[in-house]
Amino acid sequence: MEKRIKNVMASVFNVEVSEINDDTSPDSLEHWDSLRHMHLITGLEEEFETTFTEDEIVEMLNYKLIYDTLKNKNL
Amino acid sequence: MMDLKYTEILRLNNDLGNSLRGDRYCVTVLSNIITNQFNEIFEYVLRSEGINAAVTSGDYDNIVQDAIKYNKSDLVIIFWELANLIDGLQYKANLMDSESTEALISKVCSEIDFTISNLENASLVVFNKFSSIVFNHTNLRSNNFDVICNKLNNYLEQRKGNNFVLIDIEKIFAKISVTRSVDFRYYYSSKALYTIEFYKSYSQFIAPIIKSVKGKAKKALIFDCDNTLWKGILGEDGAEKIEISGKTKSGVVFEEVQNIALELSRKGVLIGLCSKNNPQDVDIILNEHPDMSIRNNNIGIKKVNWEDKATNLKAISTELNIGLDSLVFIDDSEFETGYIKDILPQVTVLKVPTNLYEYPQLIRSNHSLFFNVSQTREDDIKTEMYLQQAKRAEGKNAFNDIESYLSSLSLEVTVYQNVSDLIPRISQLTQKTNQFNLTTFRYTEADINSFITDGNTLVLAFDVKDKYGDSGITGVCIVNMEYENASADIDSMLMSCRVIGRNIEIAFFNFLINHLLNLGINELRAKYIKTFKNEQVNLFYDSLGFQCVNESNDFKDYVLQLNNYKRKEIDYIKINYGKEN
Repeated sequence: MEKRIKNVMASVFNVEVSEINDDTSPDSLEHWDSLRHMHLITGLEEEFETTFTEDEIVEMLNYKLIYDTLKNKNL
Repeated sequence: MMDLKYTEILRLNNDLGNSLRGDRYCVTVLSNIITNQFNEIFEYVLRSEGINAAVTSGDYDNIVQDAIKYNKSDLVIIFWELANLIDGLQYKANLMDSESTEALISKVCSEIDFTISNLENASLVVFNKFSSIVFNHTNLRSNNFDVICNKLNNYLEQRKGNNFVLIDIEKIFAKISVTRSVDFRYYYSSKALYTIEFYKSYSQFIAPIIKSVKGKAKKALIFDCDNTLWKGILGEDGAEKIEISGKTKSGVVFEEVQNIALELSRKGVLIGLCSKNNPQDVDIILNEHPDMSIRNNNIGIKKVNWEDKATNLKAISTELNIGLDSLVFIDDSEFETGYIKDILPQVTVLKVPTNLYEYPQLIRSNHSLFFNVSQTREDDIKTEMYLQQAKRAEGKNAFNDIESYLSSLSLEVTVYQNVSDLIPRISQLTQKTNQFNLTTFRYTEADINSFITDGNTLVLAFDVKDKYGDSGITGVCIVNMEYENASADIDSMLMSCRVIGRNIEIAFFNFLINHLLNLGINELRAKYIKTFKNEQVNLFYDSLGFQCVNESNDFKDYVLQLNNYKRKEIDYIKINYGKEN
């Protein structure tokens, strides 16, 4: 799952997978703004064939939180 | 494309962006909602067609002002969302009295007017019509929100400029459903409404407009005959047994297919045959079978013989002077369609579906391959002109040398300068002509209009007549004038493939040089820009006595002192000068 999340993030933010760690967030990635966040959510939803709630969407603001959110959905 | 994931599109788009070369095609999206996810999807659709596109958004909800700011873009796309004309219009509209409804409509109409006038000189504008469907598709009765929508659309239809293409986005809702087109999760928080699936469908829907402008529209539809234009095999079943019309169960499908082809033919698409059959058998069907809708005079080119189809398609491309990538070929045989896909990958190949009832829809769903932004008189008479061309080719065999043949044609060329009635045709020629085209600059109607009005440009267009008929406007030459230096620069010189091979270009240059001398010009510059398709004019300027002053792999710069012009008299072509508007 780690790898799949990172691949999506790498595509959306146009960075290398190796640049992504637990703390990767809008503060550390130049391209991660509110518009790109929508792209990220779309990418993750397609990859994991799921739909996030509005609350989840606003929570998922670093790699660790994305991972936990997906884990909680038992995917 | 529809089955690619969004992240895959982002990645592929990024790769294409790094590898594509050539002129940038700048697209600006103006919108009163958030549509950013559209940009990269549309960029990908265009880039995968070889168009080096860059798609950016204007400021949120700033359509009127941004229309000025971005009117130099190659393409402006407008998403003007009805529900967000004012915040919450989808419910507020239904509580409005008639006075405030009228006030709102007149405010938006004046915004539409401003936008249209700000984009008056834009190259091309794709404007989505307003739609109330997303919010109202479950309502039995129309409400005021629908009324506002209809009034605005009517206004838009009346006011839109020639450079506008209006898009019915409801057709996309019809294709993929409203539910899959919108995602309300982001609507209330971020004013983003549409889904990735919507943007993919929409991109595919409008792509033919851009392909047409970039000279990538298909030009000819080539049919096999047996089980493609009729049910059955002519050589085996015989003329009595084949099924062609609604009189029989399977024939009804072929009658529809033939009539869809005729409809395309009226829009300027050439209908041709490429079939393994005895030519005289097929001619009898075309001329005499009572059930046929397509007749001999609707067919622009026929390759009915026993040679292999790749050879025949290549011959079709050569004889019509159009690229293989301008051909769409339909056949029922797995073998033939596979073979052509393999040998001639440039040709678009369609296979007649096993379920015959799907056949008309297959052709219809490929209609947009032939989409043409400007519809002109020349399109209406195109098949006729191709037929004249075939007659001329027959005539050619009767003469030993080409000059005496040309002399027998009574050729007449009329040159028009800066005539605004010809703008649609001139623009279309710049967009569609690939082979006899020295620079391949593509121009929209708005571009040509601005050349005609700027006072420093000669937009010359010419038509060609001979004793077999009128080819219509088939040549364009755009010359930038620098009167103060007594010099001029040829920006574009092109001729439709239909009139190539008759020394028209030489007669035209004889005229042009005289014309420029009369205007006080001494020096003429020109250039050749190489493309995959214009090799045949590589040495055109050399042959006229131009000096090549700068040369690289892709282009050559030329200059000619007009008194050094190598005049080659062509006494069998009469040149007329049509008057200026």
